[in-house]
Amino acid sequence: MNANSTNEWLTDNRIRWVKTEGVSIDGLVIGKYIGTKKFLDALPDGNAIADLVVGYDIGGTPYLAWWDEWRRDALGDIHQQPDLDTLVISSDRPSTANVLCDFTDLDGKPLPACARSTLKSVVQQLGDLGLVAQAAFEVEGMLFQPSPRSSRAAKYRGLAPMSHPVHLGYLHYNSRHMMAFMDILLERLDGLGIPVEGWHDEAGPGQFEINLDPADPVTACDYVVRLKQAAKETALDLGHTITFMAKPSEEYGNGLHVHHSLRRDGRPVFYATDGGELSETTRHWIGGMMATMPAATSLFAPNINSFRRMVEFAAAPTVASWAQDNKSTALRVLSRSPNSARIENRISGGDANPYLVLAGVLAGGIAGLQHHIEAPEALTVSGWGLPPGWPHLPNSITQAADAMSSDTLLHAVLGTSFCDYWVNTRRWEWLMYHTTGGDATASAVTQWELDRYFELV
Amino acid sequence: MKLQRLTIEIEADPTPIAMILAATLRRSARDPKRATRMRKARGNVALKSTVDQQAATIRFNKGIVRVVSGVSKDVHVTIAADVNKMSDESPPKPQVHGAAAHVRLALLAAKVLDAPHGTWQEEARVFLAPVLEMPGAPRGVRVVCTDDESECVFGDLSAVDYQIFGSQHCLINIFCGNTVFGQDLLDGRVTAVGTLSHLATMTGRSIAVMLGAS
Repeated sequence: MNANSTNEWLTDNRIRWVKTEGVSIDGLVIGKYIGTKKFLDALPDGNAIADLVVGYDIGGTPYLAWWDEWRRDALGDIHQQPDLDTLVISSDRPSTANVLCDFTDLDGKPLPACARSTLKSVVQQLGDLGLVAQAAFEVEGMLFQPSPRSSRAAKYRGLAPMSHPVHLGYLHYNSRHMMAFMDILLERLDGLGIPVEGWHDEAGPGQFEINLDPADPVTACDYVVRLKQAAKETALDLGHTITFMAKPSEEYGNGLHVHHSLRRDGRPVFYATDGGELSETTRHWIGGMMATMPAATSLFAPNINSFRRMVEFAAAPTVASWAQDNKSTALRVLSRSPNSARIENRISGGDANPYLVLAGVLAGGIAGLQHHIEAPEALTVSGWGLPPGWPHLPNSITQAADAMSSDTLLHAVLGTSFCDYWVNTRRWEWLMYHTTGGDATASAVTQWELDRYFELV
Repeated sequence: MKLQRLTIEIEADPTPIAMILAATLRRSARDPKRATRMRKARGNVALKSTVDQQAATIRFNKGIVRVVSGVSKDVHVTIAADVNKMSDESPPKPQVHGAAAHVRLALLAAKVLDAPHGTWQEEARVFLAPVLEMPGAPRGVRVVCTDDESECVFGDLSAVDYQIFGSQHCLINIFCGNTVFGQDLLDGRVTAVGTLSHLATMTGRSIAVMLGAS
């Protein structure tokens, strides 16, 4: 769509307001409601928005411990450059249209703090290698009976889940508990053009999983962002509380598994043709993802709370590992069908920014191809309960940030400006946890984590 | 007599308070008398915040001093203090448990946790030297001590981009890493003239020094 056709589209659909949807580094949807005239006048650069949206943490404290070279010298504005191909009528507010945006500087240049732009850059590099990727996410969340107000009053503890408390997944008795919510959410997702493959209840309290259709990488992430936002809004409208926090309680956590496939000249790269042997390209792709996995864990597990999910025998991987169809490994390779040959990354939590998750996955693969990194041996045992000496993943926000800081492969693909900004924000998050009420010795989820992440991530 | 070596260690993946304590001990160890006392000491001292969950234990063991997070079960002396006010000119008196039974250890802890420092000008020079090398940093920094209007310019004398005003006590605290520049500015303990980018750069350096950067 261009400015002219956008004008026609807005008029034809009787749109009065445009809701701009930018995505912060923490995965929060940031934007404004703008009148259509103002929206059109601002094209193609998009509306201005305070640059603080890329300058504060998820708790609202400005990052004042470093200053990235791409930031202006004082507080000013940046732009939300709309991706007009994502313009869609809001499914619950007919006079409003939603549009996803990239954060750009005043000259229209993407900011390193814009996760969506970072992914676009990685996809471009993939294209330069003659490869086309598709991706599909599995989104897990948890729905609770009380309203957000009541949940806050209860400090997010002991909330009645929208399910039977038994630790069973795929139980229709459980999914029935959340059917009223799902009916509305799925209708809204249909309205937003988000193709849902299916959904089911999961084993955590009030937990569900929604599987999305494959799409090109940026669109696949757009789906996740809009799904999570629609789910939060639907829960709010119905007076319930929802969370995508990685580990809101000591029960199972929320994951954000992502499957991806590659095609070269239309042929599936990951398909193992003769006798199940992986192609050299696939081996190098896996080798790159394995080599960068400790660093990329910072993107897959971005918060203090993310690492509480990554414990033994709790569905999330704990060692850097890959195998054919093994759900205890970090990478699950499914190569036996030409139509569905793909690799699933099982590390990322429900609190991760999907653009950064996929950027991390693809950047690792690209690094593997560029440097001909051979994949290590596939894991032939369970990935859980392994003794010291195995390549355990970083188990704290600082360990992951340190791995990211010292990794050169990801820096080369994701860009040093982005990586530096990211590492600084993660170290800041660590500092905030310890100096504003978090408990370093807590083995269980702390109040600080619940207050900070429960409703927002 | 051959002097025993003094090693100050810190746990892997440390917490900020553990890093801060290790940095303080290293500063203390520059003073020969304090270093000697640390070399000879045996026993465990915990510092526990009274305002949040932060805590760390210093384990003195004949020349090896190790800082770990949390209050270890085998501590001999526990100091409970408001960690946000420990550097105030008149800090609230900390509660000390175990001092009666471990007098020397408690006295040692009090001594080494109060690290010696130079004049504000000396500390400012050390603090600002790396800052002035950073990309986007102020070319020159003017520091004014409001107690006696003494001042110093660091870096490019002809291009002062940033100015800091504060009492000698506050300046020393900032430049030694006892307090964080941005927080002191926010709380009105010091004032400054300059850009936000320079404020952020100075605050970043301040946090780094607090956590042990040289």
